[in-house]
Amino acid sequence: MPNLNIEAKKANTYDAIVIGSGVSGGYAAKELTEKGLKVLMLERGRMLNHVADYEAAMKHPWEFQYNGQLTNEQKERSPKLARDYPYNEMTADYWMCDRDSMYVEKKRFDWFRPDIVGGKSIMWGRQCYRFSDLDFEANARDGHGVDWPIRYKDIAPWYSYVEKFAGISGEALGLPQLPDSEFLPPMEMTFVEKEVRKRIEKNFPGRHMTIGRVANLSAAKEAQLGVGRGPCQFRNRCQWGCPFGAYFSTQSATLPAATATGNLTLRPDSIVREILFDNDTQKGTGVSVIDSQTQEEREFYSPIVFVCASTVGTTAILLNSISDRFPNGFGNDSGELGHNLMDHHFRAGARGTWEGDHDRYIYGHRPNGIYIPRFANIGDDKRDFLRGFGYQGGGLRGNWRRAVAELSFGEDFKNTVTEPGDWSMGLGGFGETLPYHENRMWLDKDNLDKWGIPVVAFDAEFKENEQKMREAIKNDAAEMLESAGLKNVRTYDGESFPGSAIHEMGTARMGKDPETSVCNGNNQVHAAKNVFLTDGACMTSVSCVNPSLTFMALTARAVDFAVGEMKKGNL
Amino acid sequence: MRPYLFSPMIERRTAIERISLLVGGALSPQLTAGLMGQVLNEGDSVEITDAQRDLLAEVADVIIPETDTPGAKEAGAHEFIIRLMRDCYELPAQEKFYAGLARIDERSQTAYEKPFVDLSRKEQIAIMTETGKKDKGYFKQIKQLSQVGYFTSEIGVTQNLQYMPIPGRFEGDVPYEKGQGVIMNAR
Repeated sequence: MPNLNIEAKKANTYDAIVIGSGVSGGYAAKELTEKGLKVLMLERGRMLNHVADYEAAMKHPWEFQYNGQLTNEQKERSPKLARDYPYNEMTADYWMCDRDSMYVEKKRFDWFRPDIVGGKSIMWGRQCYRFSDLDFEANARDGHGVDWPIRYKDIAPWYSYVEKFAGISGEALGLPQLPDSEFLPPMEMTFVEKEVRKRIEKNFPGRHMTIGRVANLSAAKEAQLGVGRGPCQFRNRCQWGCPFGAYFSTQSATLPAATATGNLTLRPDSIVREILFDNDTQKGTGVSVIDSQTQEEREFYSPIVFVCASTVGTTAILLNSISDRFPNGFGNDSGELGHNLMDHHFRAGARGTWEGDHDRYIYGHRPNGIYIPRFANIGDDKRDFLRGFGYQGGGLRGNWRRAVAELSFGEDFKNTVTEPGDWSMGLGGFGETLPYHENRMWLDKDNLDKWGIPVVAFDAEFKENEQKMREAIKNDAAEMLESAGLKNVRTYDGESFPGSAIHEMGTARMGKDPETSVCNGNNQVHAAKNVFLTDGACMTSVSCVNPSLTFMALTARAVDFAVGEMKKGNL
Repeated sequence: MRPYLFSPMIERRTAIERISLLVGGALSPQLTAGLMGQVLNEGDSVEITDAQRDLLAEVADVIIPETDTPGAKEAGAHEFIIRLMRDCYELPAQEKFYAGLARIDERSQTAYEKPFVDLSRKEQIAIMTETGKKDKGYFKQIKQLSQVGYFTSEIGVTQNLQYMPIPGRFEGDVPYEKGQGVIMNAR
């Protein structure tokens, strides 16, 4: 009955398969479908319908049960997630159950795995900054990692392209180390932030403070209104899902655009076990998928595959895709697959209080803070560490949660905490980490998850360069705050583990040389040119800026290249 | 869409049985379903008597009393604390918390030979002042819990704070006059 098999295969064949539906996967699906390709987008998590399924979003504070805290049961099902705040009462159902696939930590690695269509594009922090040539040239300059195969000029038009659709609010500064985006109007700084900005820029020539650049619609333009998005309402509950579609997510932006083409098939609950490979053509031919709910296994086929399953997810799939040609993982001729795992280090900085000005306040909830672009190791600012850091922070008045004189209670206590507290201002660094070969992830083949797939294991750490940078982050923050007139300035250095910043990158890096990298400057796997890696896995170094905008730009660029190559018959 | 996002019932029952064995069966499964269809903690919880509930409500009300707005008792802050203890704290932490509550009543008995709930407000304030000095850690905990329970309740939020569910705009520098109230935090 050969005809039946051919028919069945045809029904499971698409022009392109996209693995993952987050920032990168959603963007790949939008671009591919808009170019006329029939696309299957696979997502291991459950369906999360835009607006209708954002259950926490419109609740009043008193409609929650636990003030955001987790129940014992939620802690028990995901003990690793429960170590940090992104997993909480309001978002608990957005994250995966750790116990379904309990990963191994040789050293602590905080791996935040979503379990929904949209991935982390629902819960992300939305800060958007362009990389610059300071970043793309960094590896070549100091010899760590391999050189990026691209430069800023290669990606600049694609930044503009995605920004116009995504909608990035911010202020143009004209700085070479932090190129400006296509901006929607900037959000306003608070009274204290404006004062501190003036003083920092006066006292430290060459340093700048600006409002955060953020994927919230400070104004909605045609590109956003057209997919059903509205302007930001300044509720600052973004991580629970926005009923107004006011921040960029798969659901608010790329999914409606892709769906409108009529070319998209979205398949939730679909765990990709492996990418299929044909030795005759030296190409990927499709994927093998397990239905997470039925355990049923089936295959889908396509001439182009975009792997956008998140940094660790993408590399885990590649490592699990074993063939005669690739005994050590798909495209892993270099042996670099799983290596050079990076994240930003953070949670070091300083804060202080501002005396007086109790007659000034704010209106609304700004889903954004301030940003101080990198200044270390630029020009004459030479340091005892490599690369640099930026600061995120903000200046606000204390809310009712503050602890007032420890022993007070009763009427005075109540009256005090119902008034706004003092102004205070904090600066927290986000630092670049170096691409260390020995920082890595792999599959623990003796340890299978709920679906029979080997679990991921991690062995990564921050090292001396990062520790030295953290000292500078604390000292520079304290120095700037003190010079700006803040009192009681204190530094802090909270524990920062790889993974905690949820900016994990690397493990399948881009490079010019197939001997030392996994994919090329167009995000093609060197050894299987129709398979594209465009999420954080492809990153060769990590800059100090939030990376999602770069994933969007790289993805749109790679899709344009892929479809061009397909039309030329090169794929 | 999946019908059920939490671990299967059978695993939870096993967990409850295991805990029952450990603590000799002294359990009160709180089977109240949550607002979001969540199955709450079914096992390791201290059983609360009406007297404990009343005592907790009274203590919270001394910490956050009625002024020109209602106090913690009317706002139901104690219900929040009981729920949080039951579902989010491990059994030893729950026991420790209710032991601290019992000590407040003991101080009341020692000083006035009456339970705390029967004292005048002036006497209650004296006992809580004593608790703050002699039992600092516990005082801090119950004060903080009362604060959170009250200022996340409907009365706490709507009658004491500036509540902005949909502000529609952000302004970074507006005049403030005492009495307008702190803005309820977004999350």
